[in-house]
Amino acid sequence: MSEPSPRWGMTIDINSCVGCQTCTIACKHANDTTPGVQWRSVIDVESGEYPDVQRLFLVTGCQHCAEPSCVPVCPTGATKQRADGLVTMDYELCIGCASCAVACPYQARTIVHDPGFYYGTETVQERAVAHDDRIGVAQKCTFCITRVDDGLAAGLSPGIDVDATPACAASCIASAITFGDFNDAESPVSKLAEANDYFQMHKELGNDPQIRYLYQTPSVPGRDPEEPDQYDEEPPEGALTGKLQTFWDMRAAMNFILGGLGSGTVVIAYLLSLTGDIPFMGLRIVFSIAAAVMAVGLFFVWLKIGRKLRAAYVILRPHSSWMSREVYAVAVLAAGLLGAWTLPHPGWLALAALGAALFLYAQARILQAGKGIPAWRTPRMIWMLILSGLAEGTGLNAVIAGLFPQFLPAGFALPITGIVLVVAAASLWRAYVDGAKECGIGAAARTVLAKATPRLYVIGHLAPIVGYFGLIAWTAAPIWLFAVPGALVIAGGAYWKAVVITRAAHFQGFALAKYPGRGSGRLAAPLSLN
Amino acid sequence: MDQTTPKKTVPTFCYQCVAGPDLMRVEVEGGIATRIESNYSIGEEHPGGGRVCVKAYGLIQKTYNPDRVKTPMKRTNPKKGRHEDPGFVPITWDEALETVAGKLRKAIDDGLTDSSGYPRIAASFGGGGTPTQYMGTFPAFLAALGNVDFGFGAGQGVKCYHSEHLYGELWHRAFIVAPDTPRVNYILSCGHNGDASTGVAGIWRHADARVRGMKRVQVEPHQSVTAAVAAEWIPIKPKTDAAFLYGVIHRILHERDWRADCDIPFLKNDTVAPYLVGPNGYYLRDCETRKPLIHDLADGINKPFDDDITDAALEGSFTCSGIEVGADDDEWSHQDIEAKTSHQVLLDHMKPYDADWASAECDVPAGRIRSVADEFIANACVGETIEIEGETLPFRPVAVLLGKTVNNGWGGYNCCWARTLLLCLVGALEVPGGMIGTNVKLNRPAYDRFTSAVKGPDGIMEFPFNATSKNEWESQPHIRNAYRTLVPLVANSAWSAALGPAHLPWLFQKSPPKNWPKPTKPDIWFCYRTNPAISSWNTAEVTKRMAEFPFTVAFAYTYDESNHMADILLPEATDLESTQLIQIGGTKFVEQLWTHQGWTIRQPACETEVDCRDMTDIATELAVRTGVLEPYNAAINKGGHGVRLATKEFDYRLDETQPHSLEEIWNASAKAASHDLSGGEEINDLDWFKEHGYMLRPFPQLDWYLYPHMKRNGIRFELPYQERILRHGTQLARRLHGIGVEWWDTQLEEYEPLPSYKPFPDIWTEQVREAGGDPDDFPLWALTSRSMQYSWGLNVGIPMINEVAQNVSGHKGLIINRGTAEGLGLAEGDPVVIQSIAGETKGYAVLREGIRPDTVVMIGQFDHWKTPFAKDLNLPSLNSLTSMSLSLTDSTGSGADIARVRVIRGDGPPRPEE
Repeated sequence: MSEPSPRWGMTIDINSCVGCQTCTIACKHANDTTPGVQWRSVIDVESGEYPDVQRLFLVTGCQHCAEPSCVPVCPTGATKQRADGLVTMDYELCIGCASCAVACPYQARTIVHDPGFYYGTETVQERAVAHDDRIGVAQKCTFCITRVDDGLAAGLSPGIDVDATPACAASCIASAITFGDFNDAESPVSKLAEANDYFQMHKELGNDPQIRYLYQTPSVPGRDPEEPDQYDEEPPEGALTGKLQTFWDMRAAMNFILGGLGSGTVVIAYLLSLTGDIPFMGLRIVFSIAAAVMAVGLFFVWLKIGRKLRAAYVILRPHSSWMSREVYAVAVLAAGLLGAWTLPHPGWLALAALGAALFLYAQARILQAGKGIPAWRTPRMIWMLILSGLAEGTGLNAVIAGLFPQFLPAGFALPITGIVLVVAAASLWRAYVDGAKECGIGAAARTVLAKATPRLYVIGHLAPIVGYFGLIAWTAAPIWLFAVPGALVIAGGAYWKAVVITRAAHFQGFALAKYPGRGSGRLAAPLSLN
Repeated sequence: MDQTTPKKTVPTFCYQCVAGPDLMRVEVEGGIATRIESNYSIGEEHPGGGRVCVKAYGLIQKTYNPDRVKTPMKRTNPKKGRHEDPGFVPITWDEALETVAGKLRKAIDDGLTDSSGYPRIAASFGGGGTPTQYMGTFPAFLAALGNVDFGFGAGQGVKCYHSEHLYGELWHRAFIVAPDTPRVNYILSCGHNGDASTGVAGIWRHADARVRGMKRVQVEPHQSVTAAVAAEWIPIKPKTDAAFLYGVIHRILHERDWRADCDIPFLKNDTVAPYLVGPNGYYLRDCETRKPLIHDLADGINKPFDDDITDAALEGSFTCSGIEVGADDDEWSHQDIEAKTSHQVLLDHMKPYDADWASAECDVPAGRIRSVADEFIANACVGETIEIEGETLPFRPVAVLLGKTVNNGWGGYNCCWARTLLLCLVGALEVPGGMIGTNVKLNRPAYDRFTSAVKGPDGIMEFPFNATSKNEWESQPHIRNAYRTLVPLVANSAWSAALGPAHLPWLFQKSPPKNWPKPTKPDIWFCYRTNPAISSWNTAEVTKRMAEFPFTVAFAYTYDESNHMADILLPEATDLESTQLIQIGGTKFVEQLWTHQGWTIRQPACETEVDCRDMTDIATELAVRTGVLEPYNAAINKGGHGVRLATKEFDYRLDETQPHSLEEIWNASAKAASHDLSGGEEINDLDWFKEHGYMLRPFPQLDWYLYPHMKRNGIRFELPYQERILRHGTQLARRLHGIGVEWWDTQLEEYEPLPSYKPFPDIWTEQVREAGGDPDDFPLWALTSRSMQYSWGLNVGIPMINEVAQNVSGHKGLIINRGTAEGLGLAEGDPVVIQSIAGETKGYAVLREGIRPDTVVMIGQFDHWKTPFAKDLNLPSLNSLTSMSLSLTDSTGSGADIARVRVIRGDGPPRPEE
């Protein structure tokens, strides 16, 4: 029987770590990271209020999760997991889409487009250790995979022999970081984990991270965290607080705004066409307009990715990546549309509509797979994007119907569908905002959402509903008026997506499931009176 | 990268801070130093697991810093000052060295001392002795010059553990005091920021201790890195640590049963606690032998301390006859008087200082002061023993640590005394688990702590006080800081000049005191690895004074605030470019307590891009040109560069008539060092050290502890009573008053046999009034705190160090309590101006909960205006706020890093997000 594969991981002792940053800088040396890039970082955490205060240092970085959320989202296969658990990066395959970066709940990933130099101009040493292949692609801690592999090849034991051990663990001057094989009961990490209580960060998210934090000593007991999110208003930013993600900006948001709108338009138009009121030609034009809108969205996201010439690699992982699947959905839509223009047959439009529906669903799954962003990862987000996309679809259909009635005859079905979908979207939004705290969305993001909600309710929900009702009630209304509620629905959809993707998109942040029982005042360790 | 480029690793060392040295390997590809890594091969022997700390990794960027001074330079603008452009222009090494040598030759021709009797040549170094670990044979060159003033301070006295250095050596040969960390179970730390300042060995050992269960209670105004990882942080009002410690002592002596808690045999037999004290404050002595008397309870007879004493009395008073020997020729004869034991005097002395009193002084709850005392006693294990290398020794796993600002300046004596007394009470001094010294710098020889621990006539250790007697006192200071004249306790070793009142030369340049030699400027001032214009107290004042110096030679890595005033800049080969052999192991400095000792090498790792020269080559060249080659070579032969080239056992001396290359000098040094270490069994040359990096031999762990040596030689620890301090203080007062010096009177009051508490914070408050200000205008205490990442400013211009330091709170500006900040209308990142009576500094607000509301903290030493990169950091510095004044100078010549300040909103936008 072959030996079981190792499971590389670490224990990190919070009571040992003094925050000296030796591991941080040793990692920078071992991995030649550029200015501002820290695959290994130690954050300075303060909690409580004077005179009851605790300060601790928390080692952060890639946790090489057993169930890494970064791997399945990768559309190219650049991020993989080896049998020994190491989550790897292939810089030659990565397109820099940042799906992995937003999927990581540990803020472990970085994308650098312009590395820069420490002194402003490149030194000979920086040139000697430059890694141009890392520009514009995702990068992160590899657990010093080369040291581990080379060490094993040389007959060394990672975690025991320093030359085969990740630089952070090898260099640690407080013996706080220990590396080793959790599948080997005799390894130092296994023994430490066996002999001590530990916690895994964000264990509830299911990634099974392979860093285990030790938090107590004989004189410092462990304690439960105090109320983790005690603030209803925006709190003072702490080291644990997740910062606003910057990987996906408005260019990425445009894909969700225009993609949802376009795909929703196709689906709605197709569904309306089933009543038989829409001519094939008109439907084909509506589909084409919608497809163009989607294409613009995709163009925006192409502008965003770090390695534009590698964009085609996005098709490589349809078996796990919704981003890959989104592209295949585009292909289905495109095939249907192309067929519809070359060989007029309703079947083509059905195929296109199917592609659009898949696209809409794929988009919803892409955002929801951003596991590192609490505002995105809630399962409700899937329905929010789908329903909003469909509602926006009624909007664009209404705009087309209002402005180009020759292609899309207006009828009651459209506003009625619109009302139903907008009401559903509004209900979902309310549930989303009301449940934000419970589903882990932090105070800063909640503040953003709370501020956006009234505007969204009025512009994106109430006004279009009134408009759609008006169109139903006022049968003599001029046709162009259909465009008004339609445009409002579209604006509402664009608004909330922009808010959620670019402004309420704070990272998960860091958290301790257990704290060392030390500090001042009531947080102090107990007296030692034997 | 060219994969065919040959790659190698070069062993060398990092000694950027006093907590070193630590060994590392430099990875080199194609002649370019690419990466740093610990030299793990010494992991088993090195007390820090063979690791280097964060600072070592900055050395690559230091080497390739494009802002380096790339050739020798000379000043073309004769006007000096912060706002004057020096007009530095490149010159050849030949011109640079000849210019310097010419000035030196003239100084020698003029007689080496000036009209005030001060040396014409002066030199300042930074970093607590670390520069000598980098300056090759330059010390031998300075020795060859014959008379150099090393007393212009660069911040020492305020930046070091000054009182600990002096009193530590007096009491237990402890220039630095450390816990026996591998065994200690309870540490009471008053502001000792060890997890930022004790380097790899300290952090490694303390982390191990914490994991096994050692408890540390950290008492300080702000929650430092060390307080963060302590079991408890107790906030205390700045500069009141002595009150806290006195409260702890009072609890032990007056509220608990000290007879049951304390190590009574230790007090009776190993300290001066039973010595009887006469009415004039001096020991009551036997008339014949003149030895201090002890009352033997067994037979009720008062006997000389070294007589056959069965049961020494610790408490009470006894009817005695004898003599008291006071200052100078004072002598009193007593018949049948009542004399108390020293311990009884102590009990009486401590009576007023109960925990409630202490609480009112230091703002720590009285209950917590009492419980700290209870914890200390509970963990002291009085009566227990442990076996070390076959010898049974007392086991007392408790320690008390003092930090900077606690153990220097006013109150430093009180804190050092109280700390050492606490350990004495439970017998935890110099025993396993307790508090031990690491090395000596004032006593000689320097190579071990024990040789100088010689029994004196009173049964305590001899100490090389500077004389205060009528005939021997040095009334004419031989250097400008007058350490031999003013500070008996600082002794007279090679380190004493730097440990004297090193700010006085700067202070007196501006305002000369009465009845004192006229302050003069040195004709030539050497600056090496130091930047007093940033690191001193009151930097603005020091900057102005150094601008007045006629000729300054600065060894320059980049431009900086001090070499801005220089006349010649000499770019020396830096850390990865130069050669030197240094000692490692044994017991060194901070927490470097080894079970090995030996030698290690620094060697060039990479091709240099700069026209720099090794300090050894510079020294040799200057020696030749100055005409002191023979004394220079003689100094090398004697070990002036750190290695004795000849003893009775070997002789690797150099021909003193010829100049020698760097390789010749260090090759001889390598052979001598290895010969000495191995007893001639293994003689290694320079190439061997370059290849192997270091050479070690075992060092006995028993030599960590002074106690066995004291017992073997029948020596008592000089605690609690300080008769010698009283005598020297009294004599010094007479001497100074004899020449009309009264400006040192406040300092003289500190020479008490048992230090009494004074409200020390008021000294700083009162100084504001003295300087013409209203203390109410400066409502906050400003302190500083050590940055682990920065090393005396030597790496302040290194961007990678700055990047990682940003992860540690406080490296972005002024640490201020969140509530206090909000009261001032300040939010995180707001620009602030911090003002004191002496100056102002600017930065950005960093809001934290872990700091007292009446205190602000500025980490490190910044406020650069010239050093590339550093000048753009926009960080505040306490050094721009601290007053340099006699009223803030204690009797040992030290001050403390503290100032009364106000904080106001500054102009401009908030701190930009990185």
